[in-house]
Amino acid sequence: MTGSTAIARNPTAAHPTALMEVVGVAKRYGEQRALVDISFTVNAGEVLGLIGPNGSGKTTLLEAVAGLAPADSGRILWRGTSPAPSRRREFMFYLPDGLRPWDEQYVARVVEFFAAAYGRPASITAQAIGALGLAPVLRKQVGALSKGYGRRLMLALALITPQPLLLMDEPFDGFDLRQTREIMAVVRDVASNGRTLVLAIHQLIDAERVCDRFVLLADGQVRGIGTLADLRAQTGMPAAGLEDVFLALT
Amino acid sequence: MRSPDAVPVRGAPLRPLLAKELREIVSGRALWTMLLILCPLVGYSFWQAVVLYGEASAAARDSPVLASGLSPLDGVLVPTFGALYVAVTLLFPFVAIRSLGREKETGALRLLVQLPYRAPTLIAAKMTAIFGAWLLALVPAASAVVIWAALGGHLYAPETADLLFGHLLYGLLVGAIALFAASISESSATAAIIALAFTIGSWVLDFALAGQPGALDWVARLSLTQTLRTFEQGLFSIGLLLGVVAAIAGFAALSAVWLHPGMPPRTKLLRSLACVAAVAVVLALATRLGSSLDLAEDRRNSFSAADQRALAELRAPLLITVRLAPEDPRYVDLRRNVLAKLERAVPGVVIRLATTGQSVVGSTGEEAYGEIEYSYAGRTDKSRSTSPREILPLLYALAERPVPPPGAGEDYPGYPLVADARPALLWFFAGLPLLIVLGWWWAHRAPPVPAQLVKDGGQS
Repeated sequence: MTGSTAIARNPTAAHPTALMEVVGVAKRYGEQRALVDISFTVNAGEVLGLIGPNGSGKTTLLEAVAGLAPADSGRILWRGTSPAPSRRREFMFYLPDGLRPWDEQYVARVVEFFAAAYGRPASITAQAIGALGLAPVLRKQVGALSKGYGRRLMLALALITPQPLLLMDEPFDGFDLRQTREIMAVVRDVASNGRTLVLAIHQLIDAERVCDRFVLLADGQVRGIGTLADLRAQTGMPAAGLEDVFLALT
Repeated sequence: MRSPDAVPVRGAPLRPLLAKELREIVSGRALWTMLLILCPLVGYSFWQAVVLYGEASAAARDSPVLASGLSPLDGVLVPTFGALYVAVTLLFPFVAIRSLGREKETGALRLLVQLPYRAPTLIAAKMTAIFGAWLLALVPAASAVVIWAALGGHLYAPETADLLFGHLLYGLLVGAIALFAASISESSATAAIIALAFTIGSWVLDFALAGQPGALDWVARLSLTQTLRTFEQGLFSIGLLLGVVAAIAGFAALSAVWLHPGMPPRTKLLRSLACVAAVAVVLALATRLGSSLDLAEDRRNSFSAADQRALAELRAPLLITVRLAPEDPRYVDLRRNVLAKLERAVPGVVIRLATTGQSVVGSTGEEAYGEIEYSYAGRTDKSRSTSPREILPLLYALAERPVPPPGAGEDYPGYPLVADARPALLWFFAGLPLLIVLGWWWAHRAPPVPAQLVKDGGQS
């Protein structure tokens, strides 16, 4: 706890090239403290995992960062400046979990709408469709898609968006093992092409495979930040996996 | 300074947004259900109106006086469009709510507000889609107008357009209210309750409180139905137009304020108060704008052209003190036949109700009850008449002006017509519903997929 608090108090010290800084974000729902003084940095080109069990505040944090839920306090800095919540969408796109939007529309229409709204070329859209294997369902209604294809559609929409930072809530939910690995490859490919990703994940094995760094959350508080090596060092468990580290810190 | 990696929020193309909103509204069942219900509703109203108009016309065949009372606006158009009014009041809120409520329920709104469109743009696009839905809802009533013309019925373009415009304003007002209800509600069901509370509530206000004295009359004037009443009388009121447009814009602005889930409630409340204050100012200004155009062919809202010209030259203030209770039928007559017309014709008319707050029962015992006092340029006269034939000469005498001679050829001839509208029922009960079903099928068909979208394959 003391180690993570020290990191949280000076979130940028170790990362002078921070793309985004989350500083002291807090939120309450009535008497319940959903987020408590959350601070961390996101570096350009990395895949950062927000790790925590259900109810730990991952979704609330992502929504607060994206400006989709008002935070009680705290700041979000983008390259050192503090854009208003309404302007954060200029820099980041947040993909919520469990959406089945515009369920009576056809998949092709939804994809085309996103691409047209952002003025994205057809090649980008085709790339996203190809990467996520959406071609067989383009003439299906969104509401008629299986859970897996529904998730693929959402991911495709996120890939079509041009913002440099992608926030995704549980991007691997709804996929079997093989599909999860495919999607992980897509995610890594996106990061290698220069986009930065923040993924909220409750499956620690998935997170360990795909993320460069981790922010461990429990009960709305940051319990650890860093690479797996950093976290192992914090816990004094040099051979531990993310699961053991998480259990030790929380 | 804008960051080089920022995605600009302004300047995004509107066409895909509009297309998406239109697709959303036509993909819902609410619109098509409303259209299917409208067909028999409008058809039966139209048929019944033509039958009744025909019966009255048969009686007036040999009587020019009776014939002059036969106006297609009152006899056919208003009853036919009354069916549209009922549908817009009771069903259109469900159509309009869908444009936002479904997105809130499925979470799509959280994607939509991140797209490069500002909240007012999103709401404007939804209002455009709502307007599109209203245009579709107009089809049955518009087809009734075409059938009426085909049957040989008379149409006077200005008054018909005025009626249509009134229904458009009413439809957009109901749509804006429904959109606002959807923006403040988490579910479409709650939004529907709020929207219907507005529409049905104002309906109840209209028939329960209209004609009541004092504050109740003021409350009754808030009814949405009042929006239509003026247009149904062939009047085009600038003040009413401004007021309704302000109300539509106000509800749309409130929808934009409440749209974004990330805005703190306190900010939403403060912005809402600013919206309400701005609309209140415009409404206050609108009530002061008395200018209106009488577009009715029978000029029911005006005196004869000669009288209108003569009255317009009365530059001094004309004070009228009415000693009648507002619910007294004589006052209703006076208001319709004289006062409303004077308000439009005389530049400086002031009408004072000396019995405000009194009822007929409590006032009729007074000797002066029923008197109407006219004061102009220091001269005063009294009358108990509610007829312009007696009152106008009295006013000219007060103004020391000659009574203008009546103009020739100004009398409304009336347009009696006995027609058989039974074949039209086939259109409303079979042809049009079939077209609507075909429209539903066309709107729901799977789109072609552009080849360039699948050029990379896309294996699952």
